[in-house]
Amino acid sequence: MNKTLRLSFSLKNTYRVNGFLYSLKQIPLLKRLLPQSLYRVTGLKIFANILSVFWEILSAFLGKLLYFAVMIYGAASLYDGLPEREVFLHLFLFLTLIGSFMNTGMFNPTKDKYYAMILLRMDARAYTLVNYGYLLVKTVIGFLPFTVLFGIDHGVPLWLCLMLPFSVIGMKLCAAAISLSRYTLKGKGYNENKFSRYMMGAVVLLLAAAYAPPAFGLVLPSAVPTVLFAASIPLGLLSLRYLINFRDYRAVNQELLAGLTNQMDASAGTQIIKKANEDKIAADASISSRRKGFEYLNELFIKRHRKILWSSSKKLSYAAAVVSAGVLLLLFLKPEVRSPVNMMVRTALPYFVFLMYAVNRGTLFTQALFMNCDHSLLTYSFYKRPAFILRLFRIRLREIMKINAVPALVIGGGLALILFASGGTEDLLTYPVLIVSILFLSLFFSIHYLTLYYLLQPYNAGTEVRSGTYRIIMTVTYLVCFYCMQLRLPVLMFGLMTIVFCLIYGVVACFLIYRLAPKTFRIRT
Amino acid sequence: MKFVIEQLSKSFENKQVLKNIGFTFEEGKIYGLLGRNGAGKTTLFNCLNRDLRADGGCFYLLDEEGTRRELSSEEIGYVLSTPTVPEFLTGREFLKFFIDINEKSIGDPRTIDEYFEYMSILPEDRDKLLKDYSHGMKNKMQMLINIIAKPKLLLLDEPLTSLDVVVAEEMKQLLRSFKQDRITIFSTHIMDLAVDLCDEIVLLNHGELERVEKTDRDSRLFKEKIIAALREESNE
Repeated sequence: MNKTLRLSFSLKNTYRVNGFLYSLKQIPLLKRLLPQSLYRVTGLKIFANILSVFWEILSAFLGKLLYFAVMIYGAASLYDGLPEREVFLHLFLFLTLIGSFMNTGMFNPTKDKYYAMILLRMDARAYTLVNYGYLLVKTVIGFLPFTVLFGIDHGVPLWLCLMLPFSVIGMKLCAAAISLSRYTLKGKGYNENKFSRYMMGAVVLLLAAAYAPPAFGLVLPSAVPTVLFAASIPLGLLSLRYLINFRDYRAVNQELLAGLTNQMDASAGTQIIKKANEDKIAADASISSRRKGFEYLNELFIKRHRKILWSSSKKLSYAAAVVSAGVLLLLFLKPEVRSPVNMMVRTALPYFVFLMYAVNRGTLFTQALFMNCDHSLLTYSFYKRPAFILRLFRIRLREIMKINAVPALVIGGGLALILFASGGTEDLLTYPVLIVSILFLSLFFSIHYLTLYYLLQPYNAGTEVRSGTYRIIMTVTYLVCFYCMQLRLPVLMFGLMTIVFCLIYGVVACFLIYRLAPKTFRIRT
Repeated sequence: MKFVIEQLSKSFENKQVLKNIGFTFEEGKIYGLLGRNGAGKTTLFNCLNRDLRADGGCFYLLDEEGTRRELSSEEIGYVLSTPTVPEFLTGREFLKFFIDINEKSIGDPRTIDEYFEYMSILPEDRDKLLKDYSHGMKNKMQMLINIIAKPKLLLLDEPLTSLDVVVAEEMKQLLRSFKQDRITIFSTHIMDLAVDLCDEIVLLNHGELERVEKTDRDSRLFKEKIIAALREESNE
C-alpha cells in the first residue's frame, strides 16, 4: 500500500513537473534559450517539485475556502432575517449532496490515472483505493478549518462543526458505492464529467432546493440536516467496506478512461480530428463546377463547405437585421430615446472594431482550408509553385472577403439607418463613412487572418496551432480590438482613420505575401 | 543526366541528422535507400523537396554537357508513405484540376479515363469523393498525380509497406516501367523489397550516404553484409 502511494505520488509529480517544463519550452523566446536536455537539469526539477508540492497543499485548502466564501457565506448573507445556523446547514446539506456525485474523484477521468493504470499497468484496485483514500484524507483536512471557522460564525455547535468533514466523505463514499453497484448490476460506468440528462435534472433540482426556499423564508429545521449528516457516517463506513471488497476496478477504469485513450494517443487523436473535418464536406453528388484550374478547385471547395462557411455568416446577417429593425421600432415608438441613441451611434464606432473582430469567420475559413485542402495538397510540389500560391491566395482573399462582407454591410446599413432615424447628423458624409468603414473593418480582419495563415501557416496535421508567433499575434489583435472600445471618437474621424488604416494594411499585407508566402506557406513538421 | 547532392547537412537542436551528405545519382536507375528507423530518410527527402530548409549544402541536376541547374519544384515528385489527397474532391475532379493547371508541362495528355485505366482504378470509384477512397486507392491517386507530370526526380518514402500484395505488385511494375529518363529514389526498411526492385542500394547510416557494391546481390551474403554495415555503424 505504501509503495503504491509512493509510486502514484512520484508519477503524478513527474507528470506535473514535466508539464511545467514543457510549457516553459512553449514560450517563443525561452524556447531558444532552453536546451533539449532541460528535462535532466536537476536545479529546475527541484524548483518545479517544490512548486508541485506547494500546489498540492494549497489546492487542498484553496478550493474549500472559495467554496465556503462564495457558495455558503456569500449566499447566506443574502437571506436576511433567517436563522443563520439553519441557513448554513440547509445550504451545506444540499451542496454536499450535489458534490458527492459531481466530485467523486474516483470517477474523474484524469491523465495520471491513465498513465498509471493503462500505460504502466499498475494494479487498478490498489491504485484506485490508495488514491481514493488519500483524497478522502485530503478532503477532511481541507474542510476542517472552514467548517469550524464558518460554522461557529453561523452559530453551529463545535461538535457538529468537527463532525461535518467526516459526513462529507461519508456521503462521497455512499455515492461511490452506489455508482459501483450500479456498474455491477447494469454494467453502466459512471463518469462525473459526463452526465446523463437525469443527473443534470437532479443537480438542477438540488440547486433549486438549496437556494430557492430560503429566498421565500423557508429553511430546513436544523434537526434534519444534523440527523442526515450524522447518519452518513455509519453509511459511509458500510460503503467503505463495499469499496474495499469490490474487484472490478480495472474494468471500471478502462471504461472511464476510454475517451482519454483516444485523446492521448496522438495518431488516434489526429484521426478523430480528420474525421470530424471530413464530415464537414457535403456529399451532395450534384455539386460540380464549369470553371478551370484554381477557380475550379476553389468553387468546389466553397460549394462543398457551404454549410460551415456561409451558414454562420447568414445567421449573423439575419441577427444584425433583426436587432437593427428592433432598435428602429423602439426609436419610432419611444421618441424620448432618440437623442441618447443618436449620441451613442455618433461615438460607438470604436466598439464596432471589437464587434467586427468577434464576428469575423476568418479562422474558421483558414482551418477548413488547411484541414480539407492545403494539408494534403501542400505535399505535392506542383501546388507549391510561387505563381500558383499567389493565384490561389487572390482567389481565397476574394472568397473570405465575400463571406464576411455580407454581415458587415447589414450591420453598417443598420447603423446608418439608426443614426438617421434617431435624428441624423449635420454632416451627410457620415453615412457613407459609417457603412464603408464597417465594411473595411470586415475586409481588414479577412485580410489579417488569411495573411497570417499564409505567412505563418500555424497548423500541424491535427489543426493544432503550433506557431508561438501566431498565438502572440492573435492575442495582440484581441488586445488592440479590446482597447479600441476605450476610445471615444466622432464617427467621421474614426471612420476615415479606419478606412485609411485598412487600405494601408491591405497593401502591406499583399506585398508581404508576394515576397514571402512562397517560402512560408509550408506544412509544419 | 545526373542528380548530385553536395555537402548537405541538417541538425535538429544538437542532433546532427545529415552530416555533409554527398552522392551522385544516375538517370534510369531506381535507388533503394536503406536505413534504420530514425536514420533520417524522411528528413533527407524533406530537404530535397524543400519542405525543410537544409543547414548547408546544395543539390542540382547535371546534364550530359556538364552544366548544372537547380531543380524546379515541378520536376520533383514526392510520394509519401501515408497518402494525402484533397478529401473534398472526387478522383476525377482532382485529376482534372491537376491537368488543367499543368497543361504546359504535361507533354502528351491522355484522357482522364485513360489515366484511371492505367492505374487500374475502377470506373465506379472515379466519381467518389477522395475521403471515401481506401488506403490503396489513395496511394494510387497520389502516385498517379506524381507521375503524370513526368518528374526528373521521383522520391518515394516507404510507399509500398502498407499496401496489399496486389496493389504493391502493380506499383512495382509501374515503377519499373517508369524509371527511364528519371532518377527514382525509394526509401524503405524492408530489405527484400529494396533488393527486388532497386538497381542500386544506398545506405543512410549515421548521417551519411554509402553505396553498397552490388556483387552477388541475390545471395544471403549480400543481405548479411547490409545488416552488418547498418548495425556496426550505429554501434560506433
